[in-house]
Amino acid sequence: LLPVLAALAAGAAEARATSEGQLPGAAAMGTGTPPSPSGTAFEETRLHVFTLDYPHVQIPFEITLWILLASLAKIGFHLYHKLPSIVPESCLLILVGLLLGGIIFGAEEKSPPVMNSDVFFLYLLPPIVLDAGYFMPTRLFFENFGTIFWYAVVGTLWNAIGIGISLYGICQISAFGLTDITLLQNLLFGSLISAVDPVAVLAVFENIHVNEQLYILVFGESLLNDAITVVLYNLFKSFCQMRTIKVIDIFAGIANFFIVGIGGVLIGILLGFVAAFTTRFTHKIRVIEPLFVFLYSYLSYITAEMFHLSGIMAITACAMTMNKYVEENVSQKSYTTIKYFMKMLSSVSETLIFIFMGVSTVGKNHEWNWAFVSFTLLFCLIWRALGVFVLTQIINVFRTIPLTFKDQFIIAYGGLRGAICFSLVFLLPPAVFPRKKLFITAVIVVIFFTVFIQGITIRPLVEFLDVKRSNKKQPAVSEEIYNRFFDHVKTGIEDVCGHWGHNFWRDKFKKFDNKYLRRLLIRENQPKSSIVSLYKKLEIKHAIEMAESGMISKVPSSVSLSDYHEGKIKPLSPTEMENMREILTKNLYQIRHRTMSYNRHSLAADASEKQAKEILIRRRHSLRESLRKTNSLSRERPVLAVCGVFW
Amino acid sequence: PGVPQGSAPVTSLLSLAVTSEQIEHLHRRFKQLSQDQLTIRKENFDSIPDLEFNPIRGKIVHAFFDKRNLRQESDGLAEEINFEDFLTIMSYFRPIEMNMDEEQLDRFRKEKLKFLFHMYDSDHDGKITLQEYRNVVEELLSGNPHLEKESARSIADGAMMEAASICVGQMGPDQVYEGITFEDFLKMWQGIDIETKMHVRFLNVDTIAHCY
Repeated sequence: LLPVLAALAAGAAEARATSEGQLPGAAAMGTGTPPSPSGTAFEETRLHVFTLDYPHVQIPFEITLWILLASLAKIGFHLYHKLPSIVPESCLLILVGLLLGGIIFGAEEKSPPVMNSDVFFLYLLPPIVLDAGYFMPTRLFFENFGTIFWYAVVGTLWNAIGIGISLYGICQISAFGLTDITLLQNLLFGSLISAVDPVAVLAVFENIHVNEQLYILVFGESLLNDAITVVLYNLFKSFCQMRTIKVIDIFAGIANFFIVGIGGVLIGILLGFVAAFTTRFTHKIRVIEPLFVFLYSYLSYITAEMFHLSGIMAITACAMTMNKYVEENVSQKSYTTIKYFMKMLSSVSETLIFIFMGVSTVGKNHEWNWAFVSFTLLFCLIWRALGVFVLTQIINVFRTIPLTFKDQFIIAYGGLRGAICFSLVFLLPPAVFPRKKLFITAVIVVIFFTVFIQGITIRPLVEFLDVKRSNKKQPAVSEEIYNRFFDHVKTGIEDVCGHWGHNFWRDKFKKFDNKYLRRLLIRENQPKSSIVSLYKKLEIKHAIEMAESGMISKVPSSVSLSDYHEGKIKPLSPTEMENMREILTKNLYQIRHRTMSYNRHSLAADASEKQAKEILIRRRHSLRESLRKTNSLSRERPVLAVCGVFW
Repeated sequence: PGVPQGSAPVTSLLSLAVTSEQIEHLHRRFKQLSQDQLTIRKENFDSIPDLEFNPIRGKIVHAFFDKRNLRQESDGLAEEINFEDFLTIMSYFRPIEMNMDEEQLDRFRKEKLKFLFHMYDSDHDGKITLQEYRNVVEELLSGNPHLEKESARSIADGAMMEAASICVGQMGPDQVYEGITFEDFLKMWQGIDIETKMHVRFLNVDTIAHCY
């Protein structure tokens, strides 16, 4: 057994040595030697009863182990109930990564594998952005689009240039030993460190539940600033390598920004439409429907990356477009699959990213310089705060609901840096940047500060400042009615005073949408009212729940219920109508029954009542995302009549 | 005719910083709608093209002439409204100011919700009955010609029941829920911050939309 173990250790060490600077497991194929029970022609070895062939499976084995480790760590955190509420998961994961990195470093006396930027940008980042884009509250996003865009573009620009120039000023002071860093290098550094990171924002904001408006501002900014980060980064990197810089280059940079941003969005929207169109024809092969969603969105990302456009914006646009139309074409089961798989992928990605950040920190890639690092951190904070404050004063003039100081504080404080700047700094070509290690150290310090200190303290701050939280209420039909009523009132008043508000544009878009897009992209185009669909969904849920808890003696064998599940809509026959009517009548009785059961019934009934309520709450929770629709009414094709005589 | 009884139309709400620029813009719009007359009648609202497609058009126009909204003590409908009344109605859609205190905000909110309440409560009895609610839902869904009346009714009934369970809690088997009073209405809108949503921007100075 000992020689086997020795062989294993030697094989592993050899594999590590060859994969220096790369992901473990991303080692080139073929470093492993083929098993040699067959031996050479001259030596005859006995038949091995038991062989160990690690190099053969090394790559998938290590990848699996990493993912498994990450997920086990996650389970570990949630075992201690209070921990995730005090410390965001991202911090804990980085700590685990640090620990691992330390172990590897200590065991092998060399730097542990550093996260490969390609792996990050091509494999780890897209699922997270896809997940975020797919479940983005579109209405709120577009209502605040101006503000988000303003913060993303002008804010990032402000930060980048501000940090770059002030750091250059610091570098000029010869006492710090930094005089060899040029202005352009500083500007490049400023541009990569000023980007607010969507992964970090998601990780931290997930637990603190601020009101949706605030959340969408910070998160939207972190998504949209990708365009400008890409442009600035490439711009300054090229400038650093060019001998002379002409004015034309600056204009080229500005033009590049528009191309990057708009191009990315267009690719995303185009592929989103293609995806929607494809799903129109998938009703015979439901099983591969989720695949299309993932393939098309990933395609949009890598296509954008191919042209050096903004991949994040492409995949976000694709996800938002797909969400509207695909949801109506796919079956209920596919929809659930898509949701869960997306969440799972993004969760795994996020975990891996943070662990790798921890692992990559340990090692010999560092150069410490007190002045540079501390001033970087200081300037990041100062410029962010200043930027948010100044920009808000300007944008408040155009907003109807001005942003208060509390809001501004949270927006400034929520400007977290994360894995994107981490990867970008590793991508710097060392030939052009002799002080690259210094940059790496500074970036790591800033990221750690934002993720740890800001991440941990934001929750108590939110409570201390009494920031408005999101109210997770259950959807009610009456609420939907009120909202719809209210929308129409507002649109009407806007029409009366002749003003083109948000509602006007939204109305116009909805008309266009109904007339052309939905006809083309949705298989059975039923004009939908959000009120009716919400009502139908709730009633079906009630009926299912009643059936499950056994309160209905006979479950209709007709296709009515499962058809609703499947999304197929066809006119109900009279017997089916009768069945549904019966269910709903019994249903009604149960609802009233439930509200009476608090003080009159025994414990047994209470337990079942609670159980039913729990199912209802859980179901409502899980379907809440899908009920954020603002479909309008339309006069076109016939819609299924809802049977439902209550009394 | 058309001069309001209590001629103090500029209310506390209105005095909250409606700038002269905005008043001028609204005045121009008023003149356009009234075709340079001093007052507007119901028929003048027919000249707004986009309003035609609004399913609750009737209720919106009605709200302009509702005397309860015009802050008069009396009840019923006015025949015609002048510019001051027009401004009064528009003032319900003022955005909130940053320097409002709690009490002002609360009053603000109540005013806006009262406006909405009056739109539901068509027979002016201070309660939204089941029939009135059904009316509202039918109108809302009226854009859909193939939706059966029955479905609209059952949706309204379901919503009414939800309201009952929120406002009254458990009901005995024989209890009848009269209707939604204004207090109940307030309760239902509690979670939704109406003050931030119920506003129309009067910023654009050019009247873009035309009338016939």
